[in-house]
Amino acid sequence: MLTYRPGATVLHRLDPRGKLLVQFGLAIAVVAHPTVPWLAGATLLGLVALAAARLSPLTVLRAYWVVFAVLAVAPFLAGVAPGPPWFRVDPALRSLRLVARVVPVLFVSAAYLHTTSVRETRAAVQRLVPGKAGQLLGVGMALVVRLFPLVLADVREVRDAIRARGGQQRPAWERARLLVVRSLERTLARSDRLGVALRARCFAWNPTLPPLAIERRDYPVLALGVALALSPLV
Amino acid sequence: MSQQYGSVELVGDETVRYFTMAVLLAALTAALSQISIPLPGSLPPFSLQPFGMFFAGLLLGPLWGGLALALYLLVGIAGVPVFSNGNAGLGYVLVGQGTGGFLVGFLVGAVVAGAIVHRGTTPRDLRTVSVPVQVAGLVAALAVVYAIGVPWLSAVTGLPLPRAATVMAPFVPFDLLKLGIAVAIVEGGYLAVR
Repeated sequence: MLTYRPGATVLHRLDPRGKLLVQFGLAIAVVAHPTVPWLAGATLLGLVALAAARLSPLTVLRAYWVVFAVLAVAPFLAGVAPGPPWFRVDPALRSLRLVARVVPVLFVSAAYLHTTSVRETRAAVQRLVPGKAGQLLGVGMALVVRLFPLVLADVREVRDAIRARGGQQRPAWERARLLVVRSLERTLARSDRLGVALRARCFAWNPTLPPLAIERRDYPVLALGVALALSPLV
Repeated sequence: MSQQYGSVELVGDETVRYFTMAVLLAALTAALSQISIPLPGSLPPFSLQPFGMFFAGLLLGPLWGGLALALYLLVGIAGVPVFSNGNAGLGYVLVGQGTGGFLVGFLVGAVVAGAIVHRGTTPRDLRTVSVPVQVAGLVAALAVVYAIGVPWLSAVTGLPLPRAATVMAPFVPFDLLKLGIAVAIVEGGYLAVR
């Protein structure tokens, strides 16, 4: 699985805002220009990003193999025709070209995940979204990251408990209802406890944030992101 | 040594309550995305992911329900494996296997369901909302999910729009069944203590 690994590469030291912008820009650029030269350039950019992050493209392909397997089906689906000649090459090739756009975007995205801690992304979100909305998003992200494993364990526990009581005999919709009701109950109980805990700790609108600064090395990254995002206009 | 002083502006009690519910519903959406009930034969597995959107809209209204789904998406973008099959990353949402439109659709769907059910940003007691209104809100949410998800799938994979719709059509009856389960849970009094 692709996760953050602490390191000292150039990508680790870049500001997360610039890195996010490049991902958005790249997605916009490849969607706007599904041509072979653009795809080649984008894939090259993806490989450069992976190399800069010291991440092997094979690792990325392995991590996203389900995604690539599902995508590989699309050109076949697009090419199949209900009558002779049964398979048409042109729509299949068009679909293949569109599907190929996914590869560079996932490469750059993987480089981001590998080099950016959740804390940094949180800080970026909190700086980008102004005011109280940004604060709630920032704190909320940190809390979801912390609580996700607990809630997942709750849901799995409920599922196992239903199974231990012979739940497989019941119809699927009834199992779904039981699972969702019990999980929801536990989740809402956690919500109440979290609320008490936050108020007990003086949950405030003006806490202290980790420092985040755009430095000289971030400007080329920001410029690249803006250029890619605006490329459809050229 | 210099010292800094500043006044502390506490977050209001109601806001804390809705905020923690949004946080926990985001975590629940993430957890339910990892779990599915296998169905017999060649049917696709019964995914529990839409329940997060349903309950965010039903329990929290447009503002806080939207926050719950926005948190779910942001945490996934930040790299926590919260999307189905443990996927993560901005790239997965934007292009992925073409299903990113459904993730964005869940966010918009929660806002739409919340707006129809609660008619305002403050969530109201669900006991005062009639069943047809709840069903209408959730049906509208599902319509939004498919209206965003299917063209998105078509754009990413290059499948023509009708064919993309055909690929997703088998999921519609299951989603309607889930909608029924969600309303039954609310109406069955399972959450009456809230």
